[in-house]
Amino acid sequence: MSTKEEKERVELLQGTLDLVILRTLQLEPTHGQAIAKAIEFKSDDVLQVEQGSLYPALHRHIKRKWISVEEGTSENNCRAKFYQLAANGRRQFALETSKWEKLAGASARILRPTEERQS
Amino acid sequence: MRRRKRMLEDLDQEIQEHIEMATRENIDRGMSPEEARYAALRKFGNVTQVKEDAREVWSLVWLEHLLQDIRFGLRMLCKSPGFTVVAVLTLALGIGANSAIFNVVNVTLLQPLPVRNASRMVVIWVNNLEHGWTRIGPTGQDYLDWKEQSKSFDDLFLFEHGTGTITGLGEPEQVAGLRVTTNFGEFFGVQPLFGRTFRREEAAGRHNFVILGYAYWRRHFHSDPSVVGRDLTLNSEEYTIIGVLPADFAGLFPSDVVVPFDTDWLKRADSDLGVFGILKHEATLDQASGEMSVIARRIVSARPSRKGFGIVLVPLQSVRLEYLRPALLVLLGAVGFVLLISCANVANLMLARSVVRQREMAIRMALGAGRFRLIRQLLAESILLSLLGGVVGALLAFWSTQLLAIFVPSRIPVPNAADKVLLPQIHMTGATFAFTLAVSVFAGLVFGLIPALHSLRCNVNESLKEGGRGFVSGLRGHRTRSTLVIIESALAFVLVIGAGLMIKSFQHLLDANPGFHPNHLLTLRIKLPNDTKDSPYREPRQQAAAFQRFLAGVEAVPGVQSAAFAEIVPLSQDDMDMGYFVVQENPLLSADQHLAADYRDVTPNFFATMRVPLLSGRTFSQQDDLDHPRVIIVDESLAHRFFPNEDPIGKHLQISDSTKPPREIVGVVGGVRDTGFDQDPRPTIYFPSLQSPDQTMTLVVRSTLPPSSILPAIKNAIWSVDKNQPVFEVRSMDEIVSGIVSAQRLAFLLLGVFAFLALALAAIGIYGVTSCMVNERTHEFGVRIALGAQPGDVSRLVLTQGARLAGIGILAGALAAFALTRLLSSLLFNVSATDPFTFVGVAIFLALVALAAGYIPARRATNVDPMIALRHE
Repeated sequence: MSTKEEKERVELLQGTLDLVILRTLQLEPTHGQAIAKAIEFKSDDVLQVEQGSLYPALHRHIKRKWISVEEGTSENNCRAKFYQLAANGRRQFALETSKWEKLAGASARILRPTEERQS
Repeated sequence: MRRRKRMLEDLDQEIQEHIEMATRENIDRGMSPEEARYAALRKFGNVTQVKEDAREVWSLVWLEHLLQDIRFGLRMLCKSPGFTVVAVLTLALGIGANSAIFNVVNVTLLQPLPVRNASRMVVIWVNNLEHGWTRIGPTGQDYLDWKEQSKSFDDLFLFEHGTGTITGLGEPEQVAGLRVTTNFGEFFGVQPLFGRTFRREEAAGRHNFVILGYAYWRRHFHSDPSVVGRDLTLNSEEYTIIGVLPADFAGLFPSDVVVPFDTDWLKRADSDLGVFGILKHEATLDQASGEMSVIARRIVSARPSRKGFGIVLVPLQSVRLEYLRPALLVLLGAVGFVLLISCANVANLMLARSVVRQREMAIRMALGAGRFRLIRQLLAESILLSLLGGVVGALLAFWSTQLLAIFVPSRIPVPNAADKVLLPQIHMTGATFAFTLAVSVFAGLVFGLIPALHSLRCNVNESLKEGGRGFVSGLRGHRTRSTLVIIESALAFVLVIGAGLMIKSFQHLLDANPGFHPNHLLTLRIKLPNDTKDSPYREPRQQAAAFQRFLAGVEAVPGVQSAAFAEIVPLSQDDMDMGYFVVQENPLLSADQHLAADYRDVTPNFFATMRVPLLSGRTFSQQDDLDHPRVIIVDESLAHRFFPNEDPIGKHLQISDSTKPPREIVGVVGGVRDTGFDQDPRPTIYFPSLQSPDQTMTLVVRSTLPPSSILPAIKNAIWSVDKNQPVFEVRSMDEIVSGIVSAQRLAFLLLGVFAFLALALAAIGIYGVTSCMVNERTHEFGVRIALGAQPGDVSRLVLTQGARLAGIGILAGALAAFALTRLLSSLLFNVSATDPFTFVGVAIFLALVALAAGYIPARRATNVDPMIALRHE
């Protein structure tokens, strides 16, 4: 039984992480560590993502052809891989965003009345 | 795949750089190097896990699982070699039978004809139902009228099969010829290998052009491409070779030479003609038939001699296979049954094994294996088994193809049309291997799913609790196993019924009296070269005399009991000759109504040689020649039909289109089944060949010597009369007869083999289930015996068990057979498809087999030692 719940949680997390990665790459091609930092920074540390889990997610995106990868040099002159949004990914981001917004809106509408009753 | 490898290789470095970067930043924030590194690592998370996760992104999980399943399956199969061998062999029989029959069906029924538009080609015959002629060739004028008036066809094509004598290339040779309308090349879309085909406009005049068949060109010109433009002496005339046909065209017309019709000739031609049409794209067969019947009526009003004639259209592709299709479809069904039976048997074996493996399954489930995963693994095992079975089956099929090639006739008759079609050689094709693969996977799924689903129904807790005592829980699988055995027996019953009916029918066929004695007869054909001006056989008298000389020579050969010439030999499907007559003494019919009969020209000794009985009057003699009054002999069926209450001897028949005086009937002979054993004799008029000589005749020789030993002497006797006279189509009457019954023989033999297989497999199934039951109830039997049960009681208990299953199976099978044997009826001769004797006989036989299969386990049950059985507790 426990495996089922865990799976659901992972999926939720995964979906969110995917969206966040795509959002981060919207601006410019970025390397792994910078993506991690950006997520941390932009979400005000709310999203406590284990930085490592970023990489399997990136690999997944590459496999789906949402992003592409190319060699480049990081800000402190290290060789690094830069991830870059592909056309597929842009479409996917738009799709996911609208889905996410709908979900968030619906959740908010459901949650608010409960809070009101409690208060 | 390459991308996957690169991504994973780079991952290590990328992670390291990530951590280093983070460490540096931490140091910049003022941590100590060690602290900074730990913090970075903490933040990163489990490095190994990350790598694993990334790998999983790229890995083909299902493939890895599949490989796992296969590896495990192979290990399981190796662990129980006995089971594996039995299962693989059982499946190999089922799959091999299917592959072999599919191969025959594929090569004969499914291969397209080697010509363009074959699917739109129809054969056009005329019929005259009044006289029982269902498919005869039209006249040349018919063809010209059709071509002018019909609108349903893109084009019509006319041909005539014949033979020709080629001289000047070594020994004179009789070759198979085809005379065609000049649209030949365009009609079939045939691209000559070299040279050209005829041109439409060449019909305007006589052109001595010849196109060579591929096989003839290879045989006589050694595949020499420069043959085009050379001359060839055909029937003593010079022809110019204008082209060579491609090899595959022989699949439609296996002719050595093809020559053109010109329009004048076409108008005169009136026998042995064949017409093909290409239906227009938008025209259906029904529309074309409708149009043609209108045309037929128009022709009758224009030419009253064609009264009573209609037009029949049949698609070319179905015409070619009408004869063999029922037999092959029945066999296809039969092998399907055999496959199902072997699947049921293997499923039974696997069920028996799954009882033993129940603990294994329970443990796997207890450890968290998903049901789907378990089913997949069991299916992988069964498909492995069936693929192994498929490999062995393909070998069996490959090997049996040579055997089948003997039984599948190379020439099959076209029903009711006095024509024959050449079948392609049976050989293994790629399609057959693909089919074998598909059948194997299908079989694996069929017999794998039953035990797989069954083993999942088991209750984990109970299986584990029952511990090592695996047997008791086996009772649960018993219902499934019994059902399988019932299905097997039912399927086997249907097959054995089918085989029984075929055996009975074939026996009837062989016993059927064709009206003559077909044994010890040798036939060969002679065609006198009388087409040219300097031929010594131009006059009818000369022809008659020539055949007399040949006959005298042949009769003098030691070992020849008697010999005769006939225009057409019974059952040979060589040709048709028929016509009208009027009974002079009884001209009841109006002028445009005709009585019709088959015409046969024979030499005096024909009836004695064929052993056709003379019923009254006399046979022909040497005096019945052109200098004496015209006489005829009629057969029994004509006498019955047209002289029901009077003696036909001495009556006179006026033969149609004859200005000659009426002919006197001098004898009545027995009827001969000329078109097949299953056809009634048709009214026949025999003419003395001395009074109506033919150009081509068939020699029949009765001799008890084997054909191969007497044939050279016969040929020499002919050549000593005329050394340039070719002989052709040398066949024994036995060969002709077996050609007539080839479809029935094929169905009879193979259905017998498959029924035997089915029976053996079903017996094994009954044996397996019964002996399993005996094992499970050893303890119970021990108790019974200890309490005083007699061996007879125990063995009866066991036997009843098997007999009950077989009994239900036989009942179910009888119902199914009742419905299914109707499909056999076109192959059956003088046997009803629901012949009660066969049904009852087979039921008894199958019950006996079932009892025999249960006997061994029953014996074992009586031998249970109560002490040992009880101690087993």
